[in-house]
Amino acid sequence: MIPQSHFLLLGAALFSIGIFGVFTRRNAIGILMSIELILNAANINLIAFSKFSANPDGSGQIFALFVIAIAAASAVVGLCLVISIYRNSKTILVNKINLMKW
Amino acid sequence: MMNGLIHLLSSHGISHDFIIKAAFYSTAGLTVLFALSVVLSRNIFHAAVYLAMVLLGIASVYLYLDAEFLAVVQVLIYVGAIVTLFIFTVMLTADIDTGPISGMFRRISVSALASLAIFFILAKVITMTAWKVAVPAEAAVSLSQLGKSLMLQYALPFEVISLISLAALIGAIVIGKAEKK
Repeated sequence: MIPQSHFLLLGAALFSIGIFGVFTRRNAIGILMSIELILNAANINLIAFSKFSANPDGSGQIFALFVIAIAAASAVVGLCLVISIYRNSKTILVNKINLMKW
Repeated sequence: MMNGLIHLLSSHGISHDFIIKAAFYSTAGLTVLFALSVVLSRNIFHAAVYLAMVLLGIASVYLYLDAEFLAVVQVLIYVGAIVTLFIFTVMLTADIDTGPISGMFRRISVSALASLAIFFILAKVITMTAWKVAVPAEAAVSLSQLGKSLMLQYALPFEVISLISLAALIGAIVIGKAEKK
């Protein structure tokens, strides 16, 4: 039996790797990938708490389903924005996109 | 086949529990390694492929938590749809080999310090807390139970999610549509 804290540690590791990616990536697609990592870390925690709760009724799994749906929606819209930005300014490097900077 | 393998190993004096643990920790370690390559690899296309591996690893972690349905959904939606979308976007935009990181040494080191600090704080809190382990779950949550609570207890959030999906669909079409010159 694997203890609960090890699942939570895995979630924490993935979360901090995702944070690092968001901070350091230059490519907008890379930032979206790191956000997916963060959402997956949250999902691991939700499902682990659902498994080890005193009254497992699957609420954590339902929440994880919702998180997956939101992640899919955000990835779709985010990637569409990336393509739209690329069409307008021929780059997706976030340090070169300064249309709204004065 | 898996059962046969476990049976073969346990006949050699390796316990069932040990096999499960070894499989879990190697999967978790591989997942973390692949996640590191997602954020560190120079080529964004390679990062997308590593992301697919990370998501598969997380799906197998769900199996250890008795969430078979979630594992299948993870493989279908994430690996099947989202990673494909990422790869399409990488192909549609230039700048594939952009270098992992912003190039500024100071920014990288500060981000590494910040994320390491977050990890150590989280790990400290997780290991310090005395988690009350409930009864070792005798029965996993069944799929029909999940479906029932999705349709009864969580009916309103379910409808909101479907609205959000519709909005994302329409929004993606509107944003992605090429403007007429």
